[in-house]
Amino acid sequence: MEIDKNKNEDKISILLEDLDSLKSYIEDLFSFLPSPVCFISSIGVILEANPAFEKISGYKIDEIIGKSIEDIFAKEKTKEIFKEAEEKGFVKAREISVFTKEKKEIPVSLSIIVRKTEEGEINGYFIGLFDLTDIKTYQKNLEEEAKDLQDSRSALINILEDVEGALKSAEEEKNKTLAVITNFADGLLVFDKEGRLSLINPQAEDFFDVKTRDIVGRPILELSTFPTIEPVVRIVGGEIKGVFRKEIKIKENLILEVSTIPMMREEEKFGALIILHDVSREKLIERMKTEFVSLSAHQLRTPLSAIKWTLKMLLDGDLGKITEEQRDFIEKTYKSNERMINLINDLLDVSRIEEGRYLYKPVLTNLESIIQFVVNSYKEEIERKKLKFQFKKPKLKLPEVIVDVEKIKLAIDNLLGNAIGYTPAGGEVTVSLKCVKKEIELSVKDTGVGIPKDQQGRVFTKFFRAANAIRMETEGSGLGLFIAKNIIEAHGGKIWFESEEKKGTTFHFTLPIPEKFGEFLKEF
Amino acid sequence: MAKKILLVEDEEIMIGLLQKKLTKEGYEVSVARDGEEGLKAMIEVRPDLVLLDIIMPKMGGFGVMEGMQKDKELKKIPVIVISNSGQPVELDKAQKLGAKDWLIKTEFDPQEVLNKVVKQIGE
Repeated sequence: MEIDKNKNEDKISILLEDLDSLKSYIEDLFSFLPSPVCFISSIGVILEANPAFEKISGYKIDEIIGKSIEDIFAKEKTKEIFKEAEEKGFVKAREISVFTKEKKEIPVSLSIIVRKTEEGEINGYFIGLFDLTDIKTYQKNLEEEAKDLQDSRSALINILEDVEGALKSAEEEKNKTLAVITNFADGLLVFDKEGRLSLINPQAEDFFDVKTRDIVGRPILELSTFPTIEPVVRIVGGEIKGVFRKEIKIKENLILEVSTIPMMREEEKFGALIILHDVSREKLIERMKTEFVSLSAHQLRTPLSAIKWTLKMLLDGDLGKITEEQRDFIEKTYKSNERMINLINDLLDVSRIEEGRYLYKPVLTNLESIIQFVVNSYKEEIERKKLKFQFKKPKLKLPEVIVDVEKIKLAIDNLLGNAIGYTPAGGEVTVSLKCVKKEIELSVKDTGVGIPKDQQGRVFTKFFRAANAIRMETEGSGLGLFIAKNIIEAHGGKIWFESEEKKGTTFHFTLPIPEKFGEFLKEF
Repeated sequence: MAKKILLVEDEEIMIGLLQKKLTKEGYEVSVARDGEEGLKAMIEVRPDLVLLDIIMPKMGGFGVMEGMQKDKELKKIPVIVISNSGQPVELDKAQKLGAKDWLIKTEFDPQEVLNKVVKQIGE
C-alpha cells in the first residue's frame, strides 16, 4: 500500500508539475499574445489582463484589475454584446470602442467566449480584442480615396458627357452645313489650308462636268487640267486670291460669277471657299435687252433720217417755195426730229457701253484741242444766253493723253452742254484744264441751278434727271452723265462733282498721262 | 456730158429725195434697189460715182464693195457710203474696201451729201 501511496504521490506530483508547466505556458502565452486579452468575472469585473490589454487601455495592470468592464467599453453596446454572448456562449468580432485612461477612443474588434462551471453556471468571460485603429485609418483613407476616385469619375463622366454633347452638336452642325452646301443653288468649292480641294457640291460638279471622286484632295493648280475648271483657276491662282463677282465663261451657255472667300479663324487662314453663281440667264437677258435696244435704235434711225432729209429739202427750197408760216412750222418739226435723233444716239451709246464694245482706236492726242472744238460748237448758245464764259488753261503745254477722240468729245460735250443748259442767262461757265501729278484734270464750273442734295447720289445713273432740271428743261434723255462717266472710266480716269442747289455745279474728270502707250486703257 | 451717179438704196423716200437733189444739180442719176441689182447696173451704166447704202435686201453694201474689188474696172469707181449706222468697225471695213467717204444719214442732210459728191467728182 505504501508503494501505491508513493505511486499515487508520484502521479500527483507529476500532474502538479504538468499543471505548473501548463500554467506557466499559458501565462507566457498570455503575456506574449500581441492581441489584448482579458478575463472578467460573471458580474463584469476585470480579473486578469495581458500586457497588450494594458497597452491599449493605457491602464497599468493593477489599475485594470477590479475595474468594471463598462468603465472601459461603451456602456450600451457592452450590455448588448454580453447579452448576446450569454445566449450563444460566444460573440465574434464586434466593433466597439475602448475608452483609454487618457479618454481616447480606440476602435476595436471584440470577441467573447463564455466560461461556465460544470453545473453550467457562468463564472466568467474571456475577451479578446483586435485594435482596429490602423484598419480604421486605412479604411478611412481608402474611403477618402474611393470618394476622390468617385469624384474624379463623376468629373470624367461630366467631361465625357460634355464632349459627347459637343460632338453631337458638332455633328449636327456638320450635317446642317453639309445639307446647306449640298443643296445650295450656287456651286461651292471648299479648299483646305494647303490649297487642296476638300469639298465640292453637286452644283459645282454639274457646272464643271466632274465627279467628286475624281478631283477631291487635289491641289488647286492641278485642277486646271480639267478644261472646265481651268478658267476659274486662271482667275483665282494657286493662292486662291480674293475675287469678287468676276464673270467667267465656262462653256457655251454657262457664265459663272466667281467669288472667293478666305476662311479665317483668329486671323489665321484655314482654307478658302470659291462660290460659283450661275449668271447665264441674266447675261442672256441682258444681251437680249441690249440687242433689242440696239436694233430698235437702228430701226428708229431709218425713218428719222427720212424725216430729217425731207424737212431739210423743204427748208432748202429744193421741193419748191414755201411760205414763212410753213417754214416756221417745218423748222420746229426739224428741231423736234433732231432731238429724237439725239435721244436715239444716246440710247445706242448706252447699249454699246453695256455690250462692252465702246472705246475704239484710242490715239495719243492733245486734250486742249478737243475741248476747244467742243467749246466752239457752243459759241452761239453762249452768246445767246449772254453767259460769261472762260476757258482757263495752263501756260505750259500739257502732256498728251491717249483717248478715243470721238468718245472724249462726247463726254466733254455732255458736261459743257449741261453747264450751259442749266445755267440761267447772264450766269457764268468756266472750263479749266490743269495737270495734277500724273493726271490731267478738266473742270466745268457753272453758276446754274445745281443738283438737289438728296438726288446727288443718283447723278451718274442711267435715265436719271434731277427734279429741278426737268422743271427747267423738258428735253434730255438722262443718259448724258451716265455716258460721260463710262467714257472717262473706260479711259482709266475718274469723274466727280460738287454741287449746291441754286448756286451751281462743278464737274471734274481726270485722265491719266500715259507712261507707256496703251497701258492705262481698259479692254473696251 | 453730165456726170453719172448710181444710187444703190432700198428706201423709196431717200431715193426720191436724193434723186431730186442730185438731178437738180445736173447729175444723171440711176437707181438700184438692192446690192445685186447695184452690181449689175454698175456694169451697164459705168457711173462716175456710187452712193451706196449698207443694209439692203439680197446683197448689202459691203457685199457690193467686195464685188467691185474683184473687178478691175469697177474697183476704180469712187464709192460714198450712206448708212443709218456708223460704227467705227464698219467705217474701217468700208475704208479697206475702197470707200471714199461715209455719211451717217441722221447726221447729214442732202445738201451735205451733194457737197461730198462735188468733192469727189466735181460738178
